[in-house]
Amino acid sequence: LSPAKFLPWFWAFVVACVAGHGAYLWWGQRLAIDTDILALLPAEQRDDGLRRAFARMVEATQQRVIVLIGADDWPAAVRAADAYRDVVAGHADLMRSASPDAEKAASDWIDTFFRHRLVLMTAEDETNLRHQSRQFWVDLALTQLYAPFTGPKWTAWQDDPFGLFANWTQARARETPVRVRQGRLFASDGGREYVVLPFVLQVPVFSVAGEQAVLAVFERAREAARDASSQAQIIEAGVVLHADAASRRAKLEISIIGIGSMIGIAVLTWAAFRSVKPIVLITVTIFIGFLGAFSVSALLFNELHIITLVFGASLIGVAEDYGIYFLCQRVGAGDRLSSWRLLYGILPALALTLGTSIIGYLGLVFTPFPGLHQMAVFSIIGLIFAWLTVVCWFPSMVRPDMVANQDALRCCDRWLRRWPILSHDRWSYLLMASFGIFALAGCLFLKPEDDVRNLQNSPQHLLDDQRTISALLDLPAPGQFYLVRGDSAETALQREETLKQRLDRLIDERRLSGYHAISNWVPSARLQTARRQLIDQALLHEDGALPTLVQRLGEDQGWIGAMRARLRESSAVLTVDDFLKANVSEPWRYLWLGRVADNQYAAIVALRGVSRDSLPALERAGAGIPGVRWVDRVGEISAVLAAYRRYMTWVLVLSYVAIFGILYWRYRQNSWRILAPTAMATIATVAFLGIAGHGIQLFHVLALMLLLGIGVDYGIFFRETSSEGDGVAWLSAGLSALSTVLSFGLLGFSRTPPLQAFGLTMAIGIGAVTLLVPCFRKRA
Amino acid sequence: MRLCGPGVSLLLLLNLMAPVAAGAQTEKIHALLAKPKILCGRFDQTKQLAGLKKPLLSSGRFCVVADKGILWRNLRPFASTVRLTRDEIVQMQGDRVTSRLSAKEEPTVRLMNSVLFSMLAGDFSQLEKLFTVDSSVYNDHWRATLKAREPALAKALDTIAMDGGVFVSSIAIHELNGDQTRIVFSEIQTGDRAMNDDEAALF
Repeated sequence: LSPAKFLPWFWAFVVACVAGHGAYLWWGQRLAIDTDILALLPAEQRDDGLRRAFARMVEATQQRVIVLIGADDWPAAVRAADAYRDVVAGHADLMRSASPDAEKAASDWIDTFFRHRLVLMTAEDETNLRHQSRQFWVDLALTQLYAPFTGPKWTAWQDDPFGLFANWTQARARETPVRVRQGRLFASDGGREYVVLPFVLQVPVFSVAGEQAVLAVFERAREAARDASSQAQIIEAGVVLHADAASRRAKLEISIIGIGSMIGIAVLTWAAFRSVKPIVLITVTIFIGFLGAFSVSALLFNELHIITLVFGASLIGVAEDYGIYFLCQRVGAGDRLSSWRLLYGILPALALTLGTSIIGYLGLVFTPFPGLHQMAVFSIIGLIFAWLTVVCWFPSMVRPDMVANQDALRCCDRWLRRWPILSHDRWSYLLMASFGIFALAGCLFLKPEDDVRNLQNSPQHLLDDQRTISALLDLPAPGQFYLVRGDSAETALQREETLKQRLDRLIDERRLSGYHAISNWVPSARLQTARRQLIDQALLHEDGALPTLVQRLGEDQGWIGAMRARLRESSAVLTVDDFLKANVSEPWRYLWLGRVADNQYAAIVALRGVSRDSLPALERAGAGIPGVRWVDRVGEISAVLAAYRRYMTWVLVLSYVAIFGILYWRYRQNSWRILAPTAMATIATVAFLGIAGHGIQLFHVLALMLLLGIGVDYGIFFRETSSEGDGVAWLSAGLSALSTVLSFGLLGFSRTPPLQAFGLTMAIGIGAVTLLVPCFRKRA
Repeated sequence: MRLCGPGVSLLLLLNLMAPVAAGAQTEKIHALLAKPKILCGRFDQTKQLAGLKKPLLSSGRFCVVADKGILWRNLRPFASTVRLTRDEIVQMQGDRVTSRLSAKEEPTVRLMNSVLFSMLAGDFSQLEKLFTVDSSVYNDHWRATLKAREPALAKALDTIAMDGGVFVSSIAIHELNGDQTRIVFSEIQTGDRAMNDDEAALF
């Protein structure tokens, strides 16, 4: 069985299989397209407790959408908000309102805390109980008694005569600026009045279908709100909005890169071969490459990330290389050589170019970023499928006389004859010297840029809205918090209390505006007992403030006894479990991770009003307390990006060595001529980034890996053709390079910063390689 | 002239609707009240707390200044002062501040202060936003009973009864836990001379 008979049919079978699988995925809608921006970030977290803590923080925020509807006066805001809420209420399958039941809120509160009110007090009152005189407490109670407008009370005066529980309640309420007003949640920035509408999504946030449905409802709700009150200001925040913006943009970019590249390649192919058939063949190659990548990646990953598809669109510019190379060789070989013989002749070079490209993409696999793994696998599979299509089908499909037009070839030959070749002459030295100065200058300006926040790519208006809402509602920072662990719930709470004392100092210094902690609600049993004793001594005791106060009110000894008994009844120890079972704990439950391992309990202390400047002080505050760990997610990811930027730079250097080794095996002392253009292009690109003021980041380095893989191909094209066939080499290198520059250049316009960095680096680098490759020819 | 036709009829319609929304009775009260810029006077407060045999009696002076706020000076049985302005509630012993609550910390401060101000000034157009008002007017005297619209508030507050003529003369607050507070106002002065020097200094 000769390969000429067997291979085309074998490949046709494989293609039919992936086509079938692709159709099944596409039309059956069985492939989930993931739009989670965070998927690009490292998934690995060596510390299990930390991983769970972070997952909990994400969980608490990810499914939520907060809508603020504001107006200059409250009734207008209410009208608009009610209209908005009514529209959303009609879609209970998509999302539900998370507004608490305002009528039940007060009674829930009493039910949960009333029995424990004697042990619930603020730290300030606790200090006062230790240090203030009996007279202080008597005066305080009397002032409160005679005060004209105390506001509505749900408890009797005798239940809290010194206002300790009321102060604690006030302090808890102050953890958020949101209040209940006319059965709605209310917030204000001093000028405008806002109704706060929290919603919880019932569909996955990062699915394209879910996003579209949810966003459509919000759109209608906005219209309804504006109809109800024309001046209503509507501010929305939620992960789903960012996810939707990202996937919309990704879809647009996929189309632009895909269509732009395909048109470019068609035009280039036409210009080179003046025939429709090559265009069809190249298109088929690219299409099968994609089909294979799509189908196999889906099998491997179960779901594809939308960023993979954007990046994958740039694959068009690489996948056509093999077909172009074959066709160019076909033109150069004349029509006496059969296509199968031609293939045997160029197979080593073809294999080598595939190998080096795969090495280029493999760089992405050595990072801990799941998103990058997927991009790499997708691209590598795409290349293999495109390559196999060329090897299995082209010899049978391309007859020797199919592409006979040699205009482009002759044109290339003419150009090449005038193109300079580096040697020991004045011109070369001058060129090298100026390149050296350029490179040096560029490297002097070069600075690293690893801050993960710069990878933020959401539209400005969404970021603005998010900032407004965070500021108005004083929301805790999602990326920075403390993880507090202990071998029992009690130990964890006690450690939180130690930490909080240090944080209180930072609040006094105005480096922090507040914190959310479960121990704000449930003090450790140790603290509850200590407080109870304190109250006994300072207030309830025979010499305490209570007997004096009661005498002033003209009541007798029996009355004192009754009141003391009444208060002591309410000193039951409040436990975390009690609190978590109650409705009022709903917004705070995410703070308690509970039992995370045998003998290990964990909780989160979340922070409000964190600024960049206060991060070092916050880190120091957590240091030295057993079981307390400061977590700066943003800082950590930035550190990972920095570490991998350095690591990948070394991998890049080693890859040069490795590829030189592979080349040496075939080209011996000419190997440097193949590698040098790519190396120079790399230096030129880096220098350009420096001069242009782009901070160098991991994604630039990753692109340089790919530049190595693809740039070397062009060197190989040149080496593999005899010197009189240089035109063929340049034609194929030029066509490949132009289409690659086009694809990655379009990727460079992506609004997703990592992709933009990647595209820009590749476009500049490949452009430079193409111009440099002919300079390193051997003079005929 | 034909161009402005529809516009005029729409304006008329709005004008017709406005008094209905405000409530016919409270309009009459509004007409009776003097609405001075500065109003000061004496108050006598009787507070009866559930479970306590004796009522708590206190008295002092108060001032209500439009666009500024309220000064409430308790003089007997002991001296203490509360000052409510748009953005804060300040409690003082003599001129020493013992506590301060700002609208920044507690967003409902502004709302509470505006309700109290409306109550002392008898501004029913504001009160009707939060309470249902049942009122009656006899000659130059009026009475009104307020019930909270807000369900959460209605669970604690039973009624507020007010009466008066040119000024508000008494306020009685009945809470659902049995507590009752009655404040009677007298010796009312208005105009720039109403506020004495101490009071002006405290504001």
